[in-house]
Amino acid sequence: MKLKVNGVEREVEADWRDESLLTVLREHLDLPGTRFSCGIGQCGTCVVHINGAPISSCLVPIKDVAGKDILTIEGLVAQDGSLHPLQQAWIDESVPQCGYCQSGQIMQALALLKENTNPNDADIDNAMKGNLCRCGTYDRIRKSIKRAAIVMGQVR
Amino acid sequence: MPQFSRRKFLLSTGWVAGGVTALYALRNKAVAVAPTIIFPDAESGAAWIQIKANGTCHMFFPRVDMGQNANTGLAQIVAEELNVEVEDIDAARPSTSDVPPLAVTAGSMSLTAYSRPIAIAAATLRETMRERAASKLGLPLADILDDIGGFRAADEPRLSYAELVDNTSSMVEFDGNRPAPLLYTFDAQRDKRQVGRAVKPLGIRDLVTGAPVYTADIPVAGILYGRAIQPPVRNARIASLETGDVANVAGFIQLVREDEFVGVVCKTPGAVDAAMTQIKVTWDLQQPIAQEEIDRLVDVDAAMAKGDLEHILQDEAHRKDIDWDIDLRFDVQVQSHAAQEPRAAIARFDQSSRLEIWTGTQDPFGMKRFAAMDTGLSEDAVVVYPQRLGGGFGGREHYEVERDAVRLARAVKQPVKVQWTRKDEFTASRSRPASAHRLRIAVDEVGNLSDWWYGYISGHVVFARERLPGWLLPVARLADDMGVVKGAISPYGAPHQRVEYNDVDLPIDLGVWRSLNGAPAIFAIESAMDELAVRQGIDAVDFKIAQMHSAHPRLQNCLERVRALSALKALPEGAGYGRGFASGIYDGRCYVAISADVYVDAQAKQIKILHMCCAQDVGMAVNPGQLRAQVESNLVWSIGMALLERFEVADNAIRSSNFDNYKIPRMDDMPSLDIEIIDQPTMPPTGAGEVALVAGPAAIANAIRRASGFRALRLPISFADITANSAE
Repeated sequence: MKLKVNGVEREVEADWRDESLLTVLREHLDLPGTRFSCGIGQCGTCVVHINGAPISSCLVPIKDVAGKDILTIEGLVAQDGSLHPLQQAWIDESVPQCGYCQSGQIMQALALLKENTNPNDADIDNAMKGNLCRCGTYDRIRKSIKRAAIVMGQVR
Repeated sequence: MPQFSRRKFLLSTGWVAGGVTALYALRNKAVAVAPTIIFPDAESGAAWIQIKANGTCHMFFPRVDMGQNANTGLAQIVAEELNVEVEDIDAARPSTSDVPPLAVTAGSMSLTAYSRPIAIAAATLRETMRERAASKLGLPLADILDDIGGFRAADEPRLSYAELVDNTSSMVEFDGNRPAPLLYTFDAQRDKRQVGRAVKPLGIRDLVTGAPVYTADIPVAGILYGRAIQPPVRNARIASLETGDVANVAGFIQLVREDEFVGVVCKTPGAVDAAMTQIKVTWDLQQPIAQEEIDRLVDVDAAMAKGDLEHILQDEAHRKDIDWDIDLRFDVQVQSHAAQEPRAAIARFDQSSRLEIWTGTQDPFGMKRFAAMDTGLSEDAVVVYPQRLGGGFGGREHYEVERDAVRLARAVKQPVKVQWTRKDEFTASRSRPASAHRLRIAVDEVGNLSDWWYGYISGHVVFARERLPGWLLPVARLADDMGVVKGAISPYGAPHQRVEYNDVDLPIDLGVWRSLNGAPAIFAIESAMDELAVRQGIDAVDFKIAQMHSAHPRLQNCLERVRALSALKALPEGAGYGRGFASGIYDGRCYVAISADVYVDAQAKQIKILHMCCAQDVGMAVNPGQLRAQVESNLVWSIGMALLERFEVADNAIRSSNFDNYKIPRMDDMPSLDIEIIDQPTMPPTGAGEVALVAGPAAIANAIRRASGFRALRLPISFADITANSAE
């Protein structure tokens, strides 16, 4: 069984085919940047993109994503090591406290900015309310999304 | 236990492989936190700073990282003293084999307790290097001037640290009796380069790129996966155990049972999930787990009706039978840490029975000792590699998930990774206790406080059951529980006053939670004072400042500042809008005042926080950016405590199990924020990790009072509470 992760085709070995996408990414494919938190799709910590759509990977059986394109937080860094504008905005605004939820936050924000290049507060509330941050970095996440939207608009 | 020989230790670990090392020990008593009480002879806390042979500055972080980013502030102090850029410091997180014991990371103490020792260590190292420079150049000390990363002298080439060290090892040691060198960090005249700068958290790039930084991310060859059953309460005993068809679960390896410990090991995490569904345990409980039981145990009125409470904190000319202007009871419910990361540990025994543990814990050296006790190994045979925590909040001080991993790894003789489920987190995280608070206040003919009588009951915190050995508990409980007394002494003065409390066992496991009893007690005090102002028809901020009688100028200043800050944004006009204020002192050293603007929306049937302001006096602001981040976090937690977080027990079990039935604040709960960090450059840093939470919930409750007329007597507050009240 194969899937494409961050542009690279990866083989899932037999022992791992009854696992969730999250578990396979973390434990089998050496991509631990996507993290487990609630296990029931209630917190957004494990969000990845499947064929471009943001989904909680803890809920997705690996069997369901055979042949599909998966994008994880590790896939946002360019080959030359340069950061995605969202990652840079997260640093510029000093968003992370404990940092555990931030991979999912950034992946969810990426999905928002694909749909809406200039989100207002209500758009951000609506898109991000499924992503919990126990440290309470929401105010900085909001600012970072707006900052990244400006940078990405200029790049376009 | 003999004194730890630092010099011998350093030589044995190879730490002093060339260069010059400074170290400074901080005694245990400076950081009095529960887990270290068991080992009062532990030498804890030390700053390790070294100029390496290549001239770079290396430091071991003395605190664990859990989001507070205190180490960044401590590195700034080192950089200030050594005239280097903080970003150029080569910093590392030590294992328990790299350094002598360090204290548990808790109590918002990092900057308060460590800033001066670290500054002394770094400054002494700097002056030692200056002596070397003087000797090398044949000049008097006074001619050797500071330069970036070294020194300079008139008409001489610059001397970098690299030119002053070589591969021979030497050490600068401190006994606390030597006079300290000039500390640049605390020099009010100095134009500081590192301290006072909003440095980004060191290592921030790793946190936005998904680098492996948490325990469960660590790759270990040949790893297996395990999980143990978490009992509903730690003094429960197994009544019956059924293991169903567990042996036939694909990937199942072993079931492990030792007394009350039951766990499984499997080849994959999914197999662990499947195996756990086969295991059914029923429990014998010593107390029923029920809300009615919790309510009965913290019933402060029943206890006060019987006479004095057990612990008396304040007793001055107390009068019992007078007409009280305020006589209100406030109830605060259990709350969970709900850290974003479910705790995890990896344990591995090597061929020679040496045990390695990777874990995100607030107390790495506690884990080492407990693992040694648990396995019968000597402490020398156990090494703990502390990892970044995905949130701590007081909930990561105990040998628990580490125990699960150690016992399972020992049973299968292979490395095992355990990560708790979200349900495990709610069940076994040692929650913040429920508490009940009776406030009686009377004023004299001119409106000044004349009588103050505050009695309360809380579940134990520091002396909670299962936090200390059973034999020690009854002795310990004769003393004040430092968690339960937090926040109890008000900043207001009255000629007649009494403060008393009981601490009790509850039917669930309890422990340290952000601010300890600070947030519950100050919620009660600040709500009562606010209600008194409302009933007198006077301004609550003026009233509170006046009743402090100039005894707390820093707190009074916070209130004045937050009033000014809140005035920058007008409260919308109309029914349902209200602005409330509250202030508080955490641990006698941290000062904060908060305002909250709320809208009680009768149509949408919801309470919405619109805007919050905070003025916090932090002493010297080492890193204003990180201080602000901690304030933001505490404001969000205030919203959770005031409005959202509802921990439920029923039918002898803990019912809160995940984020669908235990709400925490989300993006759309966020108000706009306005924060003022009050910098006091000549005063020691006060810490900030759990400070603003003491005043936030009362500010929200006081705003709701003004928006709706409803005085919240129980947290969390729901919209239904307000309508039930107005229907009466």
